[in-house]
Amino acid sequence: MKKIAVSLSVAMLVLFSLLASQVMADEHGDGAKVRVLHASPDAPAVDVYVNGDLTLEEVPFKTDSGYLDVPAGTHDVEVFAAGTEYAAGEGVLQADLEVEAGKAYTVAAANLLESIEFVVAEDSMEVTEGQAKIRVGHLSPDAPAVDVGIIGGDALFSGAEFKAVTDYAEVAPDSYDLEIRLPDGTQVLPLEGTELAADTVYSVFAVNTVDSLEVIALVDYEAAGSPDGMPTTGLGTPQQSQSIWLLIGGALFLVAASGLVWRKRFQE
Amino acid sequence: MLLAVFVLAGCSNTVEDEVSVRSAEVGFEVKAQPAWSEKPAAQSEQTTPSVQSKPKQTTNPFDDLKRPGISPHTLSIPSIGVEAEVLHLGMTETGEMAVPDNGDELSWFSEGYLPGQRGRAVIAGHVDDLDGPAVFWDLTELEPGDEILMAGDEGDLRFTVRAMESVPLDLADIESVFGYQSSPELVLITCSGTYDFDRGTREERLLVYATLSEE
Repeated sequence: MKKIAVSLSVAMLVLFSLLASQVMADEHGDGAKVRVLHASPDAPAVDVYVNGDLTLEEVPFKTDSGYLDVPAGTHDVEVFAAGTEYAAGEGVLQADLEVEAGKAYTVAAANLLESIEFVVAEDSMEVTEGQAKIRVGHLSPDAPAVDVGIIGGDALFSGAEFKAVTDYAEVAPDSYDLEIRLPDGTQVLPLEGTELAADTVYSVFAVNTVDSLEVIALVDYEAAGSPDGMPTTGLGTPQQSQSIWLLIGGALFLVAASGLVWRKRFQE
Repeated sequence: MLLAVFVLAGCSNTVEDEVSVRSAEVGFEVKAQPAWSEKPAAQSEQTTPSVQSKPKQTTNPFDDLKRPGISPHTLSIPSIGVEAEVLHLGMTETGEMAVPDNGDELSWFSEGYLPGQRGRAVIAGHVDDLDGPAVFWDLTELEPGDEILMAGDEGDLRFTVRAMESVPLDLADIESVFGYQSSPELVLITCSGTYDFDRGTREERLLVYATLSEE
């Protein structure tokens, strides 16, 4: 098999390497979040290796890995056609991905297979209380620059070209009749009844070739409260009584031991 | 041996007991399922690996993003014989996650994520009470793959145990334990480790992570 398939899963892989140490990593607050998105329309499903470890398997086109917790730092991400035996440096796509603690990233394998490449964007993990946030990523290799806006109304995002991921726009939570359209107003894809919920951050990626353009909608973040401290989940203090027993036990032990010693001496 | 334990306890003002012994060497983790295998069927239809010409997208992909979660009232873990009422509690005056005043009930952190919503819904329960073992006494006995059932007003959810660890209180990353995830998770918390008489609580927290099982 050719090295074809490589591109997509790279991002994912990065994350996965972490999986083994995932809980520890995020428990100690030094991790980043990464999700991998396969957006190369003619690439096969891929396996993603992170730092040489198989992290994501058989990732198909138009799927994302969800956020993986990975340690901050630089990770070697390499993509192979699914099922290909791993050999360092032989992948279809390779990148040294640098991620910072406390940040989240989308790593997309984009473009057609012959020109497969990574598109990396930093994702937002915050939103004004009661508001919604949304942005658009253009990952359709042969589609022209597009606007995204309200049908018959203003554009939210203008002139997004291939490989561009826009800034976020903050909007009131509501149901919106959106569309992807050319700058001259010609509709490319309708998104009627798009419900944007409060306290939620969204990314919309336009994928596939222009003649079969599709949209992938992802949630980047949903806000919720967090306490300042862990719960105190023991009502008993069994140690008190146990301490006494330990003391008694220890005292008995001492008595017994000294008794032995004395006895020995006495016998001598 | 007994003497050693005694001396050790005396030095650090902590002491070994059954809880600390049971939680001394716990911990496991199962490799997480890739997210794409957890997607609802409606979405997996669009994720065929081959790239043949397909009909244009007709449904709005935002429709698949809704994950409202449930308002929980009962949690059960058949493998260790737990079935308990779940109270909706927030924070104490000092900012800690609040817990029930008895050893039989559980608390869900109601200011955080709902069970079934993306993110980590957190349930706390006591390991012991004044009379001895409490609702989460046997939490250390959980194994990968064990089921946790959460019943709520809007329906029931099934979670599968994925990982367990016992974390020193000072090292616990609260933002992560209560934080956002791309898929719904459940985190069970109880006390573990040795009892610290100076702080009036155990030195560690046992954390059990479970992922939502799709129907």
